[in-house]
Amino acid sequence: MTEPVAAVEIEGVTKRFDDVVAVDNVDLAIDDGEFFALLGPSGCGKTTTLRMIAGLDLPTQGSLRIFGEEVGMAPPDRRPVNTVFQAYALFPHMTVRQNIEFGLRMRRVKDPELSQRVAEAIGMVRLAGMEERRPDQLSGGQQQRVALARALVNQPKVLLLDEPLGALDLKLRQEMQQELKALQREVGITFVFVTHDQEEALAMSERIGVMSEGRLLQVGSPREIYERPSSRFVADFIGRTNLIEATVESSGTVRLANGVVIEAETSAPAGSDVAVSLRPERIRVQSRGAGVSAGASLDGEVGDVTYLGHAVVYAVTAGPTLVEVRNEGEVGEPFAVGDEVTVSWDHGAAAVIAE
Amino acid sequence: MFLASPGALYLLIFFVIPLGLITVYSFATRTSTGRTSLSGWNVESYEAIGDEIILGIIGRSAWLATLTTVLCVAVGYPFAYYIATRPRHVRAVLLVLVMIPFWTNALVRVFAIRFLLGSNGPASALSESLGLGTFRILFTPTAVTIGMVYSFLTFMVLPLYVALERMDWSLTEAARDLYASGAKAFWKVTLPLTRSGIVAGCVLVFVPSFGSYVVPDILGGAKTLLIGSYIARQFRDARNWPLGAALSVLLIVAMLVAVALNQRSGSGAEDGGRPRGRKRRPGQGEAEPVTAVAS
Repeated sequence: MTEPVAAVEIEGVTKRFDDVVAVDNVDLAIDDGEFFALLGPSGCGKTTTLRMIAGLDLPTQGSLRIFGEEVGMAPPDRRPVNTVFQAYALFPHMTVRQNIEFGLRMRRVKDPELSQRVAEAIGMVRLAGMEERRPDQLSGGQQQRVALARALVNQPKVLLLDEPLGALDLKLRQEMQQELKALQREVGITFVFVTHDQEEALAMSERIGVMSEGRLLQVGSPREIYERPSSRFVADFIGRTNLIEATVESSGTVRLANGVVIEAETSAPAGSDVAVSLRPERIRVQSRGAGVSAGASLDGEVGDVTYLGHAVVYAVTAGPTLVEVRNEGEVGEPFAVGDEVTVSWDHGAAAVIAE
Repeated sequence: MFLASPGALYLLIFFVIPLGLITVYSFATRTSTGRTSLSGWNVESYEAIGDEIILGIIGRSAWLATLTTVLCVAVGYPFAYYIATRPRHVRAVLLVLVMIPFWTNALVRVFAIRFLLGSNGPASALSESLGLGTFRILFTPTAVTIGMVYSFLTFMVLPLYVALERMDWSLTEAARDLYASGAKAFWKVTLPLTRSGIVAGCVLVFVPSFGSYVVPDILGGAKTLLIGSYIARQFRDARNWPLGAALSVLLIVAMLVAVALNQRSGSGAEDGGRPRGRKRRPGQGEAEPVTAVAS
């Protein structure tokens, strides 16, 4: 029994603000050295969860451990974690250096260690030469680096990031995504970051926890979350999907609402109502009558065509269901509105959501 | 001179002309009958300020004004902090409560304090019922200080509230996150970022308390002579208008310097680096010529 201790372990944590339940009985373990994303729409409780790890909010009930040590009720200055705040929260009356030094000075770290660690942190986020500037003299990207350096200089056991890239424009955000990942690999510290941007979560993290209305719905790798969503909410929130009502026939087949029986793995008992999630890019569209080689197919009519440059999106009406199909890298526009087509997909493409 | 607006006319009649008159009179001569002679300009009145008694009065006034200011910060800061950290609708109610006494005539309020502190008042009754004997505080410097703090506290609370209300509390959270205790976070972050509110409040309290004469006269029983009362006495009883005028000019200059210093410090990188356009209207608490002119 030498199981490694989780970096962050949340057990049955609930947070109530007056009558509102912000976080509802959440259990979560984040591994040491992991890049973990808490993903969800605004108001889902992800930021409150992060703030409880930081100690800025205290849980109403439940237990919260950092590397095995119970910290649920400890004040923020007694926790081995640091936070990169959403709008950075840099001290406007201090220089870049004074901002970065702050945590070390509070812990009475003295020279030469102090200046050495500050210099290292400044070098790590490539801010050399900016030490004497004030935050309002820096660009958004530079401010963000100061916020990172200010947190990392303390060598926290866990780094918490609250929508760290939210204030940056798209191009800078993509650069910073790469930079953050590289930085995390370099320092080896557990990163927990909160985002409402599913692409960002997929691109950056090793594991994602999806939250909605205070509850943690699913935890898994980006691939698991995307390809095997456990609930309608997760399937719908992460990327685009077609959700088709269905009934389980046997352990290997389900009957779609229009009567078509398809092969799909599920552990739900026969006869139970489920939903089948089909990602638009996993579906092919063909002329009616052309030989269908794939595992399952539906006949339908093209209802709408959207040309996106790198892809063409078809809305195909197949009986009562509307299926969105996304053909990437297609040349020309082979189908027009009203064309009779067949949509098909491989067996593995359909994910059954038992709910 | 072309008058652009009624405002300019108002300023001319009620500020520029009286100020000019006071300046002119400060260089005039007092005749042996107590009249003021405008012939024969001199600086004798200014030289008279060097007198030990007058310097003592100025010193005492400055001390009382400083004490009042410090006490107003000590009482006003926690008060403003409390208001600024309440939910929005509670804040509005608390601010109105702060303002209500302010809408009452200053003289009435000071007489109310006099009743409260008097030997027939409730404070004394309480002290007697506890067996501590009669409460003798009225007509002492303590009574004057209490009255001054009460009279000018609003001037301190409002600018402090403005500064605290603009405070970005995620900054104190950041400080807590970076291992600062609650007290350390306050000293290192909240206090420096609300400094301009403190400076503004101090000027707004110091200026009128320095020249105040209604409060010391009513609560101090005119025993502790202060600069405001002394100036009033020169115009009324002593009939030495040139000396009264010279002292007034001195007071005005001192206060202008204080206001100028405040404005310089206020234009710095305080308040989270955010520029602030604040309008000050000091000197309304007491119907008193000296502070009205200084404002």
